[in-house]
Amino acid sequence: MNQTYNITLTGELIGEIERSDAIAVFAKLFKLPLDKAHDFFHKAPLVVKKSVDGDTANKIQQILEKSGLHCEINPVEVVETEQSTQVGVMSESAVDAQDEQSGQEREEMLDSESEMTTEPEQPSASFKGLKFEMAGQPDYGFVTVHVPAGEMLKVEASAMATMDTNMQMKTKMRGGLGRMVTGENIFVNEFTAANMEGEVGIAPGAPGDLCHQYLDNETIYLQNSAFVACSSGIEVESKWQGLVKGFFSGESLFLIRAQGKGDLWFNSYGAIIEIDVNDDYVVDTGNIVGFTDGLEYQITKVGGYKSFFFSGEGLVCRFSGKGKVWIQTRSSAAFVGWAHWFRPVKSKG
Amino acid sequence: MMEAKIMGSQAFSYIDIDLEPGETVIAESDAMSSMDADLDLTATFNGGFFKGLLKKFFGGETLFISRYSNNTSAPKRVTLVQPVPGEIRCYELNGDEFNLQPGAYLASTDGVKLGLRWAGFVSFIAREGLFKLTVTGEGKVWYGAYGALLEKEIDGEYIVDTSHLVAYEPGIKLKLQLAGGIFSSFFGGEGLVTRVEGKGKIIVQSRSVSGLAGWLNPKFR
Repeated sequence: MNQTYNITLTGELIGEIERSDAIAVFAKLFKLPLDKAHDFFHKAPLVVKKSVDGDTANKIQQILEKSGLHCEINPVEVVETEQSTQVGVMSESAVDAQDEQSGQEREEMLDSESEMTTEPEQPSASFKGLKFEMAGQPDYGFVTVHVPAGEMLKVEASAMATMDTNMQMKTKMRGGLGRMVTGENIFVNEFTAANMEGEVGIAPGAPGDLCHQYLDNETIYLQNSAFVACSSGIEVESKWQGLVKGFFSGESLFLIRAQGKGDLWFNSYGAIIEIDVNDDYVVDTGNIVGFTDGLEYQITKVGGYKSFFFSGEGLVCRFSGKGKVWIQTRSSAAFVGWAHWFRPVKSKG
Repeated sequence: MMEAKIMGSQAFSYIDIDLEPGETVIAESDAMSSMDADLDLTATFNGGFFKGLLKKFFGGETLFISRYSNNTSAPKRVTLVQPVPGEIRCYELNGDEFNLQPGAYLASTDGVKLGLRWAGFVSFIAREGLFKLTVTGEGKVWYGAYGALLEKEIDGEYIVDTSHLVAYEPGIKLKLQLAGGIFSSFFGGEGLVTRVEGKGKIIVQSRSVSGLAGWLNPKFR
């Protein structure tokens, strides 16, 4: 078994960062509500990430320290049976003991087994993905992604708005035939940070919001034009959704399947609302942005034939199972229907 | 001193300007959406007939500009809007200058001078226009673009996609380059990009019209 490490947040701050700012950064990094982050921070020192390999640990430390949060990397011993009984117990004395030791040598800390046990109960409090900043939400969402040296970011063609001079761009085909049929761009740009960390600013085409999800060997299906960017660990491909679903789902015959481990960004027309589906949920076909794997969906009509023709709803998508659905608050088909009458008439041919 | 507030969301910003007696604000000819009836409006050529024509065709501005003057004895309000859905920002000039991309200028106070400068063929190829609009003097200038506006402090080099740059401080120089190799630049949809060099602030719009068109056009049949 490889040597693994725990990352401990000491609660000390580096540089001239304000405590409240640090907590805000902490909350953002670990996707915690601000008040919870506040509580955690007061319990510091605490282990924020358990059992990661050396490279990852260093990376996380760098990111944390850059935002002014001091942390330490401690090697983990191979799990012994004794420890399992202690897991989940946040003992006050253990915290104190650790506090005193924080200035001492790392080797000594090895002895205090209690370290592994001082872990926040929330599973969400673990490090996730690349560093990024969002701006302009919800009207014109814009994301700036910080790409570590040697890392690669896949970005939808022509969505790059700004970048560092040390980012290198390469164009790749993606999705093959499916994309050609749907009239979507079949190319995707790969931005690699060549020598040092760089940043890419991404602006999608449609006016609307952006959403970020970290996939941990999970799968998300996206409506065809929703893909914006992903990190290198994510596979993106077009997936035929079947004739009936495809023709009636309002968007196109294909869905985008994103799976793997890493960050994924997708966009919408209008704002994005995230919905937890537990049983059945009905979404207008034009308002779907994406949904998680494991949800079944069917195209149905919403009521009887009378409402089918007169309610203006027509076909809807009925999701069942357990998972998440992202919907957009506007539908592009509705926009096109509204704007169409204001377009100048052009004679064809 | 007049009070000006930028209101509305990032998507549909507008400016409320309260003019004190004797004050004047200058705006593009189609910018006024509402105003107090007592304000005097005079339309003039944008710096003379020929200069106005130049600004219209090369600076993306209107041939006429409107002067809204308050000749009464009480404060009066004028509301200005921009034609594109997007954010409006204000820049304060203290005898220095500020460069605006064609079409970005919206309004300014009386002490601000609008000038057109040759931007070079490089800028023309980058679809940023042959000329750039330079505002100088003292006072406020309001500008806007499609999308949200993001400020970025530049020290060194940075790359901005053409049609995303809105405004930049005088310490910034623009250069043109390919986004990647020949193949990437052609098929990757990025084409030419602007390389900004120097020290100063740039303003970037978070959406571009070409991006909107690319999203929308396949949907119209």
